[in-house]
Amino acid sequence: MAAISISSKQFEAWMKEKRLVLVDYWAPWCGYCRRIGPAYDRVAEERKETLPLVKINIDEEAALADAQQIEVIPTLVLYQDGEAVASIVAPDSKAAIDAFLNEALAKR
Amino acid sequence: MEQHLYDLLIIGGGPGGYTAALYGARAGLQTAVLEKLSAGGQIALTEQVDNYPGFEEGIDGFTLGEKMRAQAERFGVQTIYAEVTSAELTKSPKVLHTSEGTFYAKTVVLATGANPRTLGLPHEQELIGRGVAYCASCDGMFYRGKEVVVVGGGNTAVADALLLSKIAKKVTLVHRRDTLRATKIYQESLEKAENIDILWNHGVSELLFDQKLTGVRFKQLQTGEETTLSCDGLFISVGRNPVTGFVADELALDPNGYVLADESTKTNLPGVFAVGDVRTKPLRQVVTAVSDGAVAAHMAEEFLAGGV
Repeated sequence: MAAISISSKQFEAWMKEKRLVLVDYWAPWCGYCRRIGPAYDRVAEERKETLPLVKINIDEEAALADAQQIEVIPTLVLYQDGEAVASIVAPDSKAAIDAFLNEALAKR
Repeated sequence: MEQHLYDLLIIGGGPGGYTAALYGARAGLQTAVLEKLSAGGQIALTEQVDNYPGFEEGIDGFTLGEKMRAQAERFGVQTIYAEVTSAELTKSPKVLHTSEGTFYAKTVVLATGANPRTLGLPHEQELIGRGVAYCASCDGMFYRGKEVVVVGGGNTAVADALLLSKIAKKVTLVHRRDTLRATKIYQESLEKAENIDILWNHGVSELLFDQKLTGVRFKQLQTGEETTLSCDGLFISVGRNPVTGFVADELALDPNGYVLADESTKTNLPGVFAVGDVRTKPLRQVVTAVSDGAVAAHMAEEFLAGGV
């Protein structure tokens, strides 16, 4: 299962419905964002029972990216009850994404 | 996790790694690639690869890497997204400890590549492909008519500055010292180029950006005085680091950290092979990496047959 792309509308709905969500802010012109893709999908598959992983294209959802103060991409943001609680910029391996999540989720 | 003994485990999913995997799997070897992020290695961040035969219009590096992965997987190669943290290569079977558990193999191909040395500045990593580049021959064409800065003082830095001077409007070469390490022939060409400025005794202290790089701040290293220059591109040519730290205790390396291996790709350890940028070689390109991959799979096959 690959991580699904969501719109700003879906984002708002998910923020109300889900306790925890991980969002990957990315854009198609960002080479490093593409590199993260396969590993991010793999993490989404492994954690599908416990944590939804989604992607937001900042070109299509510029207002949302601005509102969330996304200044550089790729940025992964963990939301709890609609609030950003942890983030990581440009992780360099699947292991780095897992380590970030394990640490951030341990505090939840 | 169930432990499986592979015939051939490949560390690194760049062109060399996936070619070894392709040849290994087609020779009937149980083969897997351990990749920490995504296929392609260094080329995955190259916007356009124009020097790999078969793609007359060029191809973007990420797609080329994914194609190599898909081709190898068609013959049964398994891709595992794992980062290798340590290895026991003198054991039989060989043992690889990774972020996803421990793996065992009869033969190992090291295809971890080399990373360009970075300046270690804030935001450097996320500006790659958005103004920050490490390979003028790969990315230079995107800076036609623009203003660029090259950092470094060795042959590569000067060759990059010369190449870019033919493409860009203006090139500024920044070097920490007051003389270049580059050989004389390069320096003479540098003096003849009209659109290259040299900034001696300076280092880059800050990257300025909006969505993309917009300029750099320099520091005069003797006085500490800072200046700002607006530019579209920053090419960092301060050398490379082969990814060999986790095998340095077992494998014979050259003084720069590259694995000592000749055209046969054989290392000092039986059943361990090194391919692509990580091994000692005169030209580090996709075409030479894929060539190594084919040779390594052949050598692994011979080793498994007891012939080596």
